[in-house]
Order: sequence, then C-alpha cells, then structure tokens
Amino acid sequence: MAFQILLNFFIAVVWMFMTSSLTPSTFIIGYIIGLLMIIMTRRYFRGRLYVWRIWSAIKLTLIFLKELIMSNISVLLLVIKPNLSTIQPMIFALPTELERDWEITLLSSLITLTPGTIVIHVSDDQRTLYVHAIDVDDVDEAIESIKNTFEKAIMEVSRG
Amino acid sequence: MKTNDVILQTTAKVVFFIIFLFSIHIFFTGHYAPGGGFVGGLLTTGAIVLLLLAFDLRTIQQILPFNFTIVTAIGLLLALGTAAGSIAFNVPFFTHAFDDFTLPLFGTTSLHTAMLFDSGVYLVVVGSAITIIQSIGGDD
Repeated sequence: MAFQILLNFFIAVVWMFMTSSLTPSTFIIGYIIGLLMIIMTRRYFRGRLYVWRIWSAIKLTLIFLKELIMSNISVLLLVIKPNLSTIQPMIFALPTELERDWEITLLSSLITLTPGTIVIHVSDDQRTLYVHAIDVDDVDEAIESIKNTFEKAIMEVSRG
Repeated sequence: MKTNDVILQTTAKVVFFIIFLFSIHIFFTGHYAPGGGFVGGLLTTGAIVLLLLAFDLRTIQQILPFNFTIVTAIGLLLALGTAAGSIAFNVPFFTHAFDDFTLPLFGTTSLHTAMLFDSGVYLVVVGSAITIIQSIGGDD
C-alpha cells in the first residue's frame, strides 16, 4: 500500500518536471494521471489497490460517527431517566483477532470514545480486551455488536 | 507487576511527534508571538518525559544517546558566545545584530542573533530538565 502511494507521488513529481511547472495544480493533475496508470497496471501489485483501503478508512470513520451519536443518545436517555432496578453494569472479556499494536489501540480508543463502554485492560497476550459497560442486557450480544462494527471495519482497513 | 501498556505505548509514539513539532514551532515563533527558547525547551522535555512514562529509562537512553550534562554545557557556551561575539565588532557586550536575507524556501526572512541566544536557552532547558528527571528516575 505504501509502495503504491509512493509510486503515485513519484509519477506526479515526474509529471511536474516534464511540464516544467512546479505548482500544486500540476501536481494534482499528475497525481490523477498516476492513479489512472496504477489502476491500469493493478495486476502487477501484490496488495490491493490502495484506493480501497482509503475508502474503508472513510467507512470506519463514518461507522464511528454513527455509533458515537447513537450511544450518546442512549446514555443521555439513561441519565435523564435512570432506571436503577434494571440497569446492569458489567465488565466483560472481549476476545479480539486483531494482532498489531496500532489495531488494538485503535479498537480500544473507539470502544472508549463511544459512551457507555470503556476499555479498562488489555491482556498480556493481547488477545482479550476487558471492557466495562454501563448497561448490558446480554453479554454475547454486546460482544457481537462491537466485533461486527469496529473490529470488522478495522480489519478491512488493515488487511482487506 | 508488569501490565500490558500497549495502548499507552502506541499512543505515546504518535503523540511524541506532535508535541515535538509544536515545540519547534513555539521555538521559532518566539520573536513575534508568545513562545521562545524556554517554553520550546520545556515542551521538548515534555515530549521526552512522555516517552519516559511509556517506556523505561534504558530504552530512552538508547534512542537518545546524548549526555544531557554536555547538552547543557553546549547551550551555555552558545549563549555566552553569542553575547561575547559583539565585543569583536567593537560594540557593547550583548548587542545583537540582525538583517533581512532572502532564503530559497522561506522567502525574505529576518535573521537575528537573538535566535542563537535562544537556541542556547533551549539546549540548557532541555539538558538540565532531562538531567534532573534521569537522575531522580534512575536509581539503579
């Protein structure tokens, strides 16, 4: 992925020297031409086209914003109308398939930034996150919802 | 007990560069905006302290293999040299000089010898603060 972006930059710089005008607009034109060339020769690259990865990063941001708004509203409802007899705070273990450090950091930041859930500990082998949640009806359902939204989106960005 | 600090360490690695960049910015704008050598030096120290909090002392000594006592000495020499340099031009001690230069990338820039004095202050602040923290933290 990084190689493709570097190649695209290089093509854009070569384009700037060819047209001998060193302006930002020439760079953007060269970048678009380079992007088309990379799309044409996409069979020669080992990884996926980097455009898709940028697209999945945008998708991850949108999922995060949606979750942020939804869980903010649910916590707001919990605050203005607390129902102390049925509320069920708990700490549960969330098994994760993510391996690299930045993936785990990103996942735990996203879980912590959505109100209602906080990551309190990462296990030593980095396979389990311990999450505190404000109100959980069903543990499996909570784990599944995090796995289906954030973990899947992060995996799409990093491997996909 | 050794816990798993993966979140702290990964975040510190990213935030270190942002704080360091901001400290350089604060250092260079010191002449026209709030900032200068002292604040810039303290911010750089803060960035290094963040790394010290996330990792251990030996790792930081490996990635920054400077003797910070010598850094302090170099800073003091730089400040003294800038102040004493004015004597060579037959003007009183501590008289600064400046002129406008046209640099290739920056355009017209006013270069001032107070900048050199400021970098002396910067090095003294970084050197002494890190020396204090390292000698308090490293008790082995």
